[in-house]
Amino acid sequence: MPWMPRAPRPPLARMQSRRARPRALLVAGAGAAAVLLAGGCGGQSTLDTHSRQSQEIASLFWWMLVAAGIVLVGALGLLAVGYRRRGRPGLPVIEQTKQINMWLVVTFGILLPLVALVAVFVVANFTVASITDAPAQGSTAMTIEVVGHQWFWEIRYPGTPAVTANELHIPARTRINVVLRSSDVIHSFWVPELNRKVDMIPGYPNRTLLYADQPGVYRGQCAELCGVQHANMAMRVVAQKPARFRRWLAGEAHPQAPPATATQRAGAQAFAANGCSSCHTIRGTPAHGTVGPDLTHLESRQTLAALTIPNTPAELRRWIQSPQQVKPGNKMPSVALSDAALTALVAYLDAGR
Amino acid sequence: MATATTPAAQARVARLERIWKEPPGLVGWLTTTDHKRIGILYLFASLALFGAGGVEALLVRTQLAAPDQHVLGPEAYNQVFTMHGVTMIFLFVIPISTGAFGNYLLPLMIGARDMAFPRMNALSFWIFASSGVFMYAGLALGHGPDAGWFDYVPLASKQYSPDSGIDFYALGLIFNGIATTATAINFIVTIFKMRAPGMSLNRMPLFCYAFLAVSFALVFALPVLTLALVFLELDRRLGFHFYDAAQGGDPLLWQHLFWIFGHPEVYIIILPAFGIATSIIPTFVRRRMVAFPLVALAEILVAFIGFGVWVHHMFAVGLPTVTTIYFAAASLIIVIPSAIQLFAWITTIITGQPSFQTPLLWIIGFIIYFIIGGLTGIMFAAIPFDQQVTDTYFVVAHFHFVIFGAAVFPILGGLYYWFPKVTGRMYHERWGKASFWITFVGTFVTFFPMHILGLLGMPRRIYTYHRGLGWGTLNLMETIGSYFLALGLLIVAVNLGVSAFRGRRVGGDPWGGDTLEWATTSPPPAYNYAVIPTVSSAYAMWDTDDRATDAANLDRGERVLEQGHRTPASTALDADWDEVLDMPSGSWAPLLLALALAGVFVMLLLGHWVIACGFGALVGLVLLAWHSAEPQAG
Amino acid sequence: MSGPSDAARGAQATARSAVARTAQRRIALPNGIWGVALFAAGEATVFGALTASYFYLRFRATVWPPPGITAPDVLLPLALTGALVATTVPIFRAARAQRTRMAWGMIALAVLVQGGYLAVQVILFKRDLADFSPKDTSYGSIYFTLLAIHHAHVLLGILLEVSVLGRLLGGLTTYRVVAVRVVALYWYFVNAAAIVVVLTQVSPSL
Repeated sequence: MPWMPRAPRPPLARMQSRRARPRALLVAGAGAAAVLLAGGCGGQSTLDTHSRQSQEIASLFWWMLVAAGIVLVGALGLLAVGYRRRGRPGLPVIEQTKQINMWLVVTFGILLPLVALVAVFVVANFTVASITDAPAQGSTAMTIEVVGHQWFWEIRYPGTPAVTANELHIPARTRINVVLRSSDVIHSFWVPELNRKVDMIPGYPNRTLLYADQPGVYRGQCAELCGVQHANMAMRVVAQKPARFRRWLAGEAHPQAPPATATQRAGAQAFAANGCSSCHTIRGTPAHGTVGPDLTHLESRQTLAALTIPNTPAELRRWIQSPQQVKPGNKMPSVALSDAALTALVAYLDAGR
Repeated sequence: MATATTPAAQARVARLERIWKEPPGLVGWLTTTDHKRIGILYLFASLALFGAGGVEALLVRTQLAAPDQHVLGPEAYNQVFTMHGVTMIFLFVIPISTGAFGNYLLPLMIGARDMAFPRMNALSFWIFASSGVFMYAGLALGHGPDAGWFDYVPLASKQYSPDSGIDFYALGLIFNGIATTATAINFIVTIFKMRAPGMSLNRMPLFCYAFLAVSFALVFALPVLTLALVFLELDRRLGFHFYDAAQGGDPLLWQHLFWIFGHPEVYIIILPAFGIATSIIPTFVRRRMVAFPLVALAEILVAFIGFGVWVHHMFAVGLPTVTTIYFAAASLIIVIPSAIQLFAWITTIITGQPSFQTPLLWIIGFIIYFIIGGLTGIMFAAIPFDQQVTDTYFVVAHFHFVIFGAAVFPILGGLYYWFPKVTGRMYHERWGKASFWITFVGTFVTFFPMHILGLLGMPRRIYTYHRGLGWGTLNLMETIGSYFLALGLLIVAVNLGVSAFRGRRVGGDPWGGDTLEWATTSPPPAYNYAVIPTVSSAYAMWDTDDRATDAANLDRGERVLEQGHRTPASTALDADWDEVLDMPSGSWAPLLLALALAGVFVMLLLGHWVIACGFGALVGLVLLAWHSAEPQAG
Repeated sequence: MSGPSDAARGAQATARSAVARTAQRRIALPNGIWGVALFAAGEATVFGALTASYFYLRFRATVWPPPGITAPDVLLPLALTGALVATTVPIFRAARAQRTRMAWGMIALAVLVQGGYLAVQVILFKRDLADFSPKDTSYGSIYFTLLAIHHAHVLLGILLEVSVLGRLLGGLTTYRVVAVRVVALYWYFVNAAAIVVVLTQVSPSL
């Protein structure tokens, strides 16, 4: 299934060997759970870390888990003591030792928690937070803009005409400042393997830091309920070697090449005649709609409709034919098209394939 | 109970019976002002809504059992999970804990014959019931709210939710809030003013402290929600711009207002459970609570600090670091009062002689799940971790451990514990234990894997997920767990339902309980106590000489107040005798007022402003009739 | 602990001396006062959240009020509020009154002033509506909502007073004394809220 992140990697990413992640001690301690959590089942695990940011958060979690485990086991142990004392009328009720009881409560209820809480507070909110926070203004080599829409991600590369959707290409091992906006409701930008999430709120441009340790594909997904198709608003973050990324960006910045074959020309006509251009932009053509994603170089993307289906000619055809069956409630209307027009449209949109 | 042994005492009891008798049958239930009958009405209404919320939960779990399923469409799914949240919080946990447990037990525990405002109490119930019908009417008509229980704008604005579902939500919650506010005020006045003379504040059971804290939290939290909802409706219906960023409004204003209410709300949900736990533990471990003053203080502190932590629901919003750090610190501080209570319970249990009968089992379950939910809660005060897992199934796991494991378990334990008091019969112990273990395991299997799913990156509120993400197995496990859990709850219902008719008859005090409600018969008479009880500690039932005094008082006719429909009022702190109150009885006004108010809200929903004003005038008329009769002392 | 029987009789005392005696003997505030105090506390939270929202929106905005809307008058609203707050005096006298006529007269005086206040405020409200709309900007939304909620509280207070006036036609009893004191407490709250509201309302011009 090509639309599933990382399953088949782009050739380049596949050649990269995964760097061993240094959390051996804790993982060993956490045992089987860790295997399940970080075992790389091809998802978007917060514990399958591919950047310093997600790595720090994950180890923060493991440490807190160990501490929590100690507390839980301790409390269960105390309850077990109570269980051993059950229904033994001969046992003295330890009511005379009021002072001791009070001190038990003060020690376990006030003093010990205070120590643990101060530790968590300092480590998490000063040390880890400084690593995962948005980058200082001007401290990064590159800025990318991501705009949340119901239900897709618009991705812009300031300084270039390149606009794409749902596939965020970044150069690997590069700190990137990502500016986050929303065009409608609140969305949340979240690529767990790279960094924590940040909401996209109308009227509040936010920023976050993206950094990938090595080339690869990382899945992201909208994390704030944004309407009926919140479930199908995902994204692929493609980290590439810088040179390769630059080639990709240069290609993406080009306008769409004019249709070469007769079918493609018919497709271009169908695109204009059936109102597609009122919602979609294809750079280099009169289509300048802004409701749906920019379709320039659509053939270069792995998925359609924000990772709902793979981008193959057959699936593209199904999508144009019945978008409301594929992704119910999305904003793309079903347009009655003849078979020939459908074929032509697919050929036009897939021209560069 | 001071049993009437002498003829004089029997005559007094007979007179009280006559004075406090309510009309039989349906009329009696519709016009009742008896806090116990209102409590029972609350119990059945909120349990019915619990059933509805439970069915919604099972629908959600069924839809998510496997990847790419189509049990529910995305629109239906969003409505169902939104109604699940709204129901469980506003229509189940709060009404059953305050409305049912508080109403039934508070006056009994403080030795009063009724609440401070009995008709307002009835009004609360009828408004609550109407608001439940109101909100479910929306869902039944296919216009359920679908923006989640915290209903973020702009998704909830007219532009993105043109359907009337959000209006049902907003108006329904404003309507519901009136009932809850009235109940809260009623509790505070009852606790401060209606305690049996002699029950100074330091002799008040911890249960009452918990309800006092809850009531204060409600009085100060709910108005903020009401205002936020008024803003929302003005935006949606009249085109105002409170939340519209394009016109100078601010979508974050909603989030602030909502969570200023919403976080105290969390403690409002959990505190009654603490109160129930502190009632059950001493009875079943045969000793007084350890660190009583610390626990009382902690209950109040939790409610108070709860108002200063709301931004920890908004760490991913992108607020300035100074703000988030402050709120993270406050969120950690609130752990302390919770930890105090936790270790007070545990210490009490291990230094007593625990007898693990059904009610105590639920409390043990509660303690374990509260620890788990509390520990994950602490993790959310680590801002970067919060930002990683908020809005994922990790947070869903956390708050279900807290709300289901920690708030609902004591409610279920409380149902078993006070069942003999309310019905005069005993439940079936072996099925009681079975129901606990099935629910306990079901809860764990349902909610624990959600932690892992959240860590694996599964966002909350998604109606489906792709196969390749590897979330299928755990989701299936949760769904199986949820059906197991439902089975456990069903056994609770059947056990209590059957025992209500077939159970072994019991006397006033089957447990050797510690608080006053066990001093009267089971079920208690309409006037609660033939003698206003004498109290000299917070464990009034264990002061046997006081109970002997009660019997003597009944013989002598002291503290009986048999001349009318009366109960004493006392001073707020020391509970010195202040005055004798003529209590109102049987009135149609509360029901009529609630119906008139329901008319107002229906008309507001339909946009008939003039007719709404007409119903408003009707509300005024009913209020005049309400106050037409002044108390007549005899 | 005194016996129950004495205190009970107080509830229907009508003679002036009896009313005074009951009031004197009372050692705690009656339930009605507690109830309205808590109600007022909840309502105060509404006003707190309302003014907080006002200033939240204000500090999110760059220009406040937005261009095209004139800043609010200062003198007239302050003068009106002064008149409203002045009714605290007759209300206070009514709450302490031992004679029916005194209580009735003082409340009637207060109703008169408060009614006049509300009438002028409604006229001003309509004039403002003609100037700018709550549907154009967040300033208009919060401005009109703030005032409308305040006016609704004044209206409710007047209605309460009128119903107490009707009740007092039958003379003062201990029960009715509590009613007067309840209404008085509500008005202390409304008058205090009025000051907060008017200061918020005129704040852009200060």
